[in-house]
Amino acid sequence: MKIKLTLGSLGIITLIIVFVISAAIVAIIDSRVTNKLDGVLWTIPAKVYSRSLDLAEGSQVNRSNLIKEFGMLSYSENKNPSKPGEFIYKKNKLRIFLRGYEDQKSGLFEVSFKDGKVTKITNQLGISVDIVKFEPVAIGGMYPSHMEDRILLSWSQVPSILIDTILMVEDQNFFNHKGISLRSISRAFFTNVKAGDIEQGGSTITQQLAKNLFFTSEQTIKRKVMEAIAALLIEFHYSKEEILLAYINDVFLAQSGKRSVHGFGMGAQHFFGTSISNLETDQIALLVGMLKGPSLYNPRRNPNNATKRRNLVLEILQKGRHINSTSLEEYKSRSLRVVSPSFRSETKYPAFHDLVRLELRENYEDSELRTQGLKIQTNLDPVLQESLENSIKKTKAQLIKKYGKKLTELEGAALAIDIASGEIKAVVGSSDPSKFGFNRSINAIRPIGSLVKPFIYLTALNKYDEYNLTTILDDSKLSIKSGGEIWEPNNFDKKYHGKIPLHVALWQSYNIASARLGIELGYDSVQETFNKLGISKSIERYPSLFIGSFEMSPFDAIQSYQTIAADGFYSPLRSIRDIKDLKGDIDLSYPYKIEQRIRPEPVHLLKFAMKQTFISGTARGYSRKDIESWQAGGKTGTSDDQRDSWFVGFAGELLVLVWLGFDDNRPTPLTGRSGALEVWKNFINDIQPSSVKKNSFPRIKYIWTDKKDGLVSGEKCKNSLLVPFIIGTEPNTIPSVRNRCASNPKRNQSDVMQKLKKVFEEGQS
Amino acid sequence: MNNLRLIISFLALSTLFSCASNQKSSYITSDSISVSEFSSSVEMLISNTNFLEDEILKINAKNPSVQRILVNSDVYLKEGKLIQANSELERALRITKEEGAIYLRLAHLRLIQGLLAESKSFASRALLIKEISSWERLLLNVYLKRPI
Repeated sequence: MKIKLTLGSLGIITLIIVFVISAAIVAIIDSRVTNKLDGVLWTIPAKVYSRSLDLAEGSQVNRSNLIKEFGMLSYSENKNPSKPGEFIYKKNKLRIFLRGYEDQKSGLFEVSFKDGKVTKITNQLGISVDIVKFEPVAIGGMYPSHMEDRILLSWSQVPSILIDTILMVEDQNFFNHKGISLRSISRAFFTNVKAGDIEQGGSTITQQLAKNLFFTSEQTIKRKVMEAIAALLIEFHYSKEEILLAYINDVFLAQSGKRSVHGFGMGAQHFFGTSISNLETDQIALLVGMLKGPSLYNPRRNPNNATKRRNLVLEILQKGRHINSTSLEEYKSRSLRVVSPSFRSETKYPAFHDLVRLELRENYEDSELRTQGLKIQTNLDPVLQESLENSIKKTKAQLIKKYGKKLTELEGAALAIDIASGEIKAVVGSSDPSKFGFNRSINAIRPIGSLVKPFIYLTALNKYDEYNLTTILDDSKLSIKSGGEIWEPNNFDKKYHGKIPLHVALWQSYNIASARLGIELGYDSVQETFNKLGISKSIERYPSLFIGSFEMSPFDAIQSYQTIAADGFYSPLRSIRDIKDLKGDIDLSYPYKIEQRIRPEPVHLLKFAMKQTFISGTARGYSRKDIESWQAGGKTGTSDDQRDSWFVGFAGELLVLVWLGFDDNRPTPLTGRSGALEVWKNFINDIQPSSVKKNSFPRIKYIWTDKKDGLVSGEKCKNSLLVPFIIGTEPNTIPSVRNRCASNPKRNQSDVMQKLKKVFEEGQS
Repeated sequence: MNNLRLIISFLALSTLFSCASNQKSSYITSDSISVSEFSSSVEMLISNTNFLEDEILKINAKNPSVQRILVNSDVYLKEGKLIQANSELERALRITKEEGAIYLRLAHLRLIQGLLAESKSFASRALLIKEISSWERLLLNVYLKRPI
């Protein structure tokens, strides 16, 4: 069958196609408009909470930390707790009247402790109870669907002078047009010609709001048409008050580092350090004047431009009779009165808030977060958070005392996480932790110094048929061609150490031996280990990589050490525990993920060498008892010219990483040991981590070896150390010089026990 | 007849290959159990998820508080509320990381969720716990042996 196409039918088909395409475009714009504006207009802040504390039989508890948490929860001490919110902690007994939270009922409970562990919990009837649950600490609010800091104003919070000023300057005909106004365009044209300057823009407020929805600032006809359609749709869906309120809350006012300042609420905080209701007319005139060119009229960067523009806005206000001429002169004579950049913190812990926001962006759909009244429970441990903040502040004060005022601008970042689950317990992004601003824990990308070395040594130990902890490395002079130049690394002590066992090279942090080992292993092998540890960045193929030129943020660095501390099991770091709405219709969680990236045995060997950092290396000073009960291990790092001071260490169930340095990258007098380690120590000494049980490694055998030659030694031989080996890789040659002390019956006995243990465990498996 | 020869040759080659690969990483695989050593009841555990689940839910935690949480989790699991079951298991892990019963349930939960690699990782992690019974060890091996 043939279809005859006439000119008329072709025209109809073309019209239909054009109509369908236009309808689709309008539908897309409409959905974008409503999505965005609903978010601006109707969102109320989600409440953010710390983790809730469970006490159960067997829970390890630090008394002083527990009492600190009661303080944060506003529980008060009372000899006879009789109403919710009261407690008494005497000897090894806690009597507490719980307020009740979720499935935990309010009531009086008695918790008994022994050796730092909960042994018994009873209710007021003396009946044994398994668990008591405390309410979490409220740590602030946020607007999850905005992904930025916002202070969203309601109509009643907007000062009338702000509305008048915006309308006078931006759109005098706002209440009369339908989104697009030919009158506004023509009036702006004549006003500007008369003034000889651009006093008014042609776009209506609705058009400006629509413009923000399309993100780019390109000036094309297509874009203008889209804006016009969006403006008409906005007017169709929303009232004039709603449009004006959305504009007031959404407009872009400034860029401060990576942080955008949107809305007059945030603008007032950023430039004047106060809320919009406290601003005077001249200050409001300054903010409204900035709309024309946020960068050009930025009062901090271009104060002269900003003053001129403010005065022009004030004159417009006077012309509109919103202020009289006496006030005009008074306002014009005032200075700009802007303060240093500051953001009111909607939270106690801004750096932690940043992580929550990032995680929301990565893991949840915008639509999931748009519901009102969300409750976000995080993994933050409020006691650890306070302690980490205090440790940074305290250490900085100690360092200034020691090194002088040149460290006044010293900055820092630190994170504390649960090793096994990757739960983020505490984060600090500044040496002034309560201030909003540049969050160094995620944004400071700095050379990690010797923190890179465990990655290199792990690459070697994972090749267990070639390397073990006593494999001899060469720490003599190294000279190689790299990038057309001769590269000759030095050790920190400027000495060469000759032939040394692998574990010694690591805990002594010898650069030359490490560089030689890295070169021997090859870039591909090392890159593979980096990837397994969660580092997605490609390494640069320069040998300096092996001694610390590699750059990472503290957040990424602690993620890679999480896999090491967790015996090869990678878990992505998580700040959010779950998100619920008030009705219980929404229950989003980011579950515990685990992925075995590396076999536990090579990691166990690496951790042994990292433990030596505490026993004999750069972090020595703790008792053997503490080191063993915490299963502690760590690594210091110092970058070139001591620009960065790092320390990462695990103790108990916690992994803690600290960075110190200057924002402008100038050298510090600090090493990893004299700087970051001090923060770590202040923190660990304050919180006193719980002890952890040793894991079981049936394939590991401990042998006495010599610290210098790495060959078999004995407990009674000088310079000997009990070193772990993967069974089948251990050295078995006893040098003749140590024949007598090495053939110690104790060693043989230990050997027999190892064999028996092996037989028994293999029988089990 | 030719087909039979082909099958026998294939089986022989597969056995040789698996022996060779086992030998290369002898220490790596020695904490897990060879499937051929499993008895018929263990074979059943592998093939029947419901039967396996019944066995897993019989494993109790030594700590009574943790056990109470596990009971909650088991109820959620039976009701098909996997998110809630997982939340309870995570809650238990925050009290102690020394209970094989928690990891077994996590391994099983991930298996039901179709996250086989994660299921294996939980099983593998549990094998590092010192005080773990032979039966728990065997059940953990069931998850380790599941093909991804």
